[in-house]
Amino acid sequence: MRSLFLQVAAVTLINVKSIPQRLWLSLSTVVAVGLVVVVLLAFLAMANGFERTLADTGANDVAVILRGGSESEINSTVSREQVRLIEDSPGIARDAAGKPLVSAELYLTIDGLKRSTQTRANLPLRGIGANGAAIRKDIRIAQGRMFNPGANEIVVGQGVLREFSGFELGSVVTSGSTRWTVVGIFEAGGSVFESEIWADLPVVQSLFNRHNYFQTVRARLVDPAALGVLATAVENDPRLKLDVKSETAYFAGQARRTSDLILKLGWPLAIAMAIGALAGALNTMYSSVASRSAEIATLRAIGFGGFPAFVGTMVESLILAACGGAIGALATFLLFDGLTASTLGASFTQVVFSFRLSPALVGQGVGLALLVGMIGGLFPALRAGRLPIVAALQE
Amino acid sequence: MNDLLLVRKNLFRKKLRAGLMIASILIAFAIFGVLAAFERAFNAGEDVAAADRLVVVNKINFTQPLPMAYFNRVRGIDGVRQVTHLNWFGGYFQDPKNFLLVFAVEPETYTELYGDDFDFPADARRAFIGERTAALVGEAMAAKWGWKVGDHVPISSNIFSQKDGSRTWDFTIAGIFKSRGAQANTNFMVFQYEYFNETRSFLKDMIGWMALQTTSPLVNDKVAKAIDQMFANSSAETSTDTEKAFNKAFAAQLGNIALIVLLVVGAAFLTILMIVGNTMVMAVRERTREIAVLKTLGFTGGHLLRLVLGESVLLALLGGLPGLALAFLVTLLVRDQLANFVPGIALTPGIVLLGLVLMLGLGFATGSVPALNAFRLKIAVALGRG
Amino acid sequence: MSDTAATPVVRLLNVCKGFTKGQETISIFDALNLSIPPGDFVAIMGPSGSGKTTMLNLLGGLDRVDAGEIDVAGKRIDRLSEGELARWRSTHIGFVFQFYNLMPMLSAAQNVELPLLLTALRRAERRTRVEAALKIVNLADRTKHYPREMSGGQQQRVAIARAIVSDPTLLLCDEPTGDLDRTTADEILHMLQILNRDLNKTIIMVTHDPAAAKYAARTLHLDKGHFVEKDLAA
Repeated sequence: MRSLFLQVAAVTLINVKSIPQRLWLSLSTVVAVGLVVVVLLAFLAMANGFERTLADTGANDVAVILRGGSESEINSTVSREQVRLIEDSPGIARDAAGKPLVSAELYLTIDGLKRSTQTRANLPLRGIGANGAAIRKDIRIAQGRMFNPGANEIVVGQGVLREFSGFELGSVVTSGSTRWTVVGIFEAGGSVFESEIWADLPVVQSLFNRHNYFQTVRARLVDPAALGVLATAVENDPRLKLDVKSETAYFAGQARRTSDLILKLGWPLAIAMAIGALAGALNTMYSSVASRSAEIATLRAIGFGGFPAFVGTMVESLILAACGGAIGALATFLLFDGLTASTLGASFTQVVFSFRLSPALVGQGVGLALLVGMIGGLFPALRAGRLPIVAALQE
Repeated sequence: MNDLLLVRKNLFRKKLRAGLMIASILIAFAIFGVLAAFERAFNAGEDVAAADRLVVVNKINFTQPLPMAYFNRVRGIDGVRQVTHLNWFGGYFQDPKNFLLVFAVEPETYTELYGDDFDFPADARRAFIGERTAALVGEAMAAKWGWKVGDHVPISSNIFSQKDGSRTWDFTIAGIFKSRGAQANTNFMVFQYEYFNETRSFLKDMIGWMALQTTSPLVNDKVAKAIDQMFANSSAETSTDTEKAFNKAFAAQLGNIALIVLLVVGAAFLTILMIVGNTMVMAVRERTREIAVLKTLGFTGGHLLRLVLGESVLLALLGGLPGLALAFLVTLLVRDQLANFVPGIALTPGIVLLGLVLMLGLGFATGSVPALNAFRLKIAVALGRG
Repeated sequence: MSDTAATPVVRLLNVCKGFTKGQETISIFDALNLSIPPGDFVAIMGPSGSGKTTMLNLLGGLDRVDAGEIDVAGKRIDRLSEGELARWRSTHIGFVFQFYNLMPMLSAAQNVELPLLLTALRRAERRTRVEAALKIVNLADRTKHYPREMSGGQQQRVAIARAIVSDPTLLLCDEPTGDLDRTTADEILHMLQILNRDLNKTIIMVTHDPAAAKYAARTLHLDKGHFVEKDLAA
C-alpha cells in the first residue's frame, strides 16, 4: 500500500513538474475553463442578485391587497369603499391612536433616463399615504427629508439615483406638465423599493385623475398568522373581490419569472462553453500524455504499475481545471459582484439590482470546472495507464 | 494530388486531435450563431420600423393614456398622411398565464397605416371595419392556437373589466393576416376600439397611443415638434418620436443585450483562439523535419506558408460551418418557445456572412505564427549538421 | 580518370564555410576545390565532423557558402536568391537521406509525386512519371502503400524514386544505407549503380561505410577541409 502511494506521488510530481514544458497549451486550458466559470457565475450572480433584491423586499407581517386576478399592482384597481371595508377587517394592526395601519396607494409609471443606455425607461411612481413609510420595514431617509403632504415633492430610492440620471437631491423632475422636486433620497435595505419614486398620494391622485380609486392596499398585520384571518374575511365579503397575499409572497412571485429566464439562458450557455473547454482540456491532456510517453514507459519498465500513471494524469488535469475555476471565480467577483444594473420587472417597471455572488454559487462554478477537468483527464489518463511499454520506448 | 490534399492530410494526421479542435470551434460558432440571432431578433424592432412612421405617447410615460380628442386634432396637422390609435388590452386566453398581444385599434386607419407591413385581405378588412366584434389575428398567433376565420374566441383582460364585472370579451375572427417582410411579428391580434370603449368600465374615451405616417421622412422632425407643441401645457402632454427610436428604447429597457452577447461570444472566441492557436503551433513544430524535406524538394517558403495557413483556415471552416448549421437548428427549435418574448429568431444572411468572415479571421490568426515558422525554417538547421 | 573535355557537373572553387559556436567561428572548409564530371559516381568519406553533410548541403543549395563559388551544371548557385534556389532545386537536384524522410500520411505514389507538383506538368503526365520511377526501383506493386506498411529498404527505394522522378542533374545521397541491414544496403547500392550506369545519373554519396563506397566509381576523402582521392582498389 505504501509502495503504491509512493508510486502515485512520484508520478504525480513528475507530471506536475513537466507542465512548464507545455506551458502555453496548459495555460490555454486554464483560460478556457476560467472563461466558462466567468460566464456561468456572471449569469448566476445576475439571477441571484435580482432574486435577492425581491426577496429582501417585503415583510411577512404586511399584507398586499390587489384586485382579484391582477398579477401585479399596476394592473389592479381598488375603490374607496373597498379600502374602508378593509380598514374594518380583522387581523389588522393598529397604531398608538387606534387607527388601522393601512396604506392605500397608487402605482403608476413615469419616464426616467437610464444611465447605461441613455434611453427612456419605465420608473414606478408610488403615491403613498401617511402610513406608507411606516408600514414598510427598514425605510430610512439617507439624504434630505420626506416630502411634505400636498406638495409637488418626491423622494427617490437609492437604486433610482444610481441607475437613472436627473434624480439628484434638489433637482427638478419634469413629468408631462408636472414639475416635481426631489427632496429626499431613501434607503430600503437593498429591496425593490429602492427602485421606486414616492410622492404624496392626494397629489398623485389629482395629477393623474384618479380621484376615487387606488391600486393597492397595504396593511400591517397583527402578526404573520393573521394573514389567514384577513384573507378569509375578505373572501367572505362579496363586495371585496380582492386577492390578499403576504408582501413576501407577492414579491417572490414577481421575481420568479425574470430570474427563471436569466437562469434558462445562463446554464445552457455555460454548458455549451464547457463542452468547448472540454475539447480543449482533452487536447491538452492527450498532448501531455503523448509528450511524456517515453518517461511513463520507462517507469513502467522499471516496475511502476499503470494505476500511478492514471492518477498522475488525472491529478494534472484537475489541477489545471481547478486553477481555471479559481481564477474564473475571482475574476467574476472582481468584475461583477456589486455591479448595479436594472431591467424590466414583472410590473413593467425597472427594477434596480446588484449582481450578487455567494459561496454556494462559487461552489457551482468551481464544480463545473472540476467536472470539465475530470472528464477531460479521464480518457487521456486511461491511455497513460495502459500505455504499451515497448512501443512507447521505441519511439 | 494537389495542395488541398496535402493540407487535408496534414490536418488529419492525428485524427483525435483534429476532431477535438473541430469540436471546440463548432461549439464556439454555434454559440455565436444562436446569440447573434437572439440579439438581432431582440433589436429587430429598430429595423422593421418604417422611416416615415412616428409614435405619439403621453409625455409622462407611454403607459399613461391620451384623450380621444387628440386623434382628430393630430389628423389635421400639416405633414401627417395617416394616423391611427392603439390601446393595450392586456390580453390572455383562458388562463392568465397564456399572455397574448392584443390591441384595440381604429379599424379603418389601422389597416391602412400598417397595410405595407401586413397583408390584410380585402374582405377581411371590410368585415373588420363593419362588424363590431370582429378581430384580425396574425398568422403566428392563429397557428399557435389553431384558430381559423369565423371562429368565436373569448379573450380576457388582466387590466380591464366590462361594466357587468366580467373580464372576458367575445370576438369573431374576421381574417388572418401575414407579414410582408421577414422579421415582422405576426403573433398578435387587433379588434375594434369602439367595441372596447363602449363596454369597458373605466378609462372611457381615452386612447393608448397614436401611430402615424408622415408625408415624407424629411418632415418627421417638423411634424413631431408640431404635435408636441399642440398639446404642450395641457393636462396630457405628448411626446412624439420616430417608431425606430421608440422601439430601440423599449428594447433597451430589458438591458444592453447587444453588449452581453458581444461579451459572451468574445469569451468563446478567445477560448478557441488560444486552444487552436497553441495546438497548431505544436502540430507544425512536430513536422519540422518534413517541412525541411519539402524545402529540399524545392517547395518555397511562401508555398509552405500557404500550406500551413490553408490548414488552419480549413480547420476553421470544418468547425465553423457545422457550428452555424447547429445554430440554425437551435434557433428553429426555440423560435416558438420564445415567440412571445422575442419574435422571429432566425439566422439571417448577415449573421452567416459575419460568421464566414470570423472563420477566415480565426484561420489566419491561429495559422499565422506556425506559418511564419515554416516560412523561416532553415533547412540545414532543421535536418541537422552531419 | 575525369573527363576534362566535358563541362563538369559540379565545380567548387575556393569555397569557405564556417560556423559560429558562441563567440568563436570555427572553419569547416577553407578554400575547398572540387570538380565532378557528368556521369560520375563519387563516394565521399571522412571522419565525423569533417563537414561531409555540410558539403552536400552546399551542393544542393540548402546552405550558403561564406566565400567562393559553386557551379552546378553551368549555373552559379552561390548567386541565386532563396526563391530562385528553391525553384532550381526542384528540377536539378534529387536528395536521398539516411532516414528516408517520407511523408507518413502520403502513399508511396503520392510521396514520389511531390517534386512534380512544383512543375507545370498535368496530372496524367505526372502519373506516368511516377509509375516509371517506381518501376525503376522495383516497387510498381506498392504504389498505394503507406510508409508504415513498408520495410526500411522499401521506404528508401521510394525515396530514391522521389529523388529521380523530376529527372535531376545531380543525385545527392547522405548516408543512404546508414539505417539498413547488410543485404538491404547492398540492394540499394546496387540500384544506385544502375541509375548511374544505365540512366547516366551523376551521383555524389556521403558514407562512412567502406563497403558502400566500393559501389562508387571513385572515393574522395574529406579531411581537415580538404579532399584526397584514395583509390580503394589499391
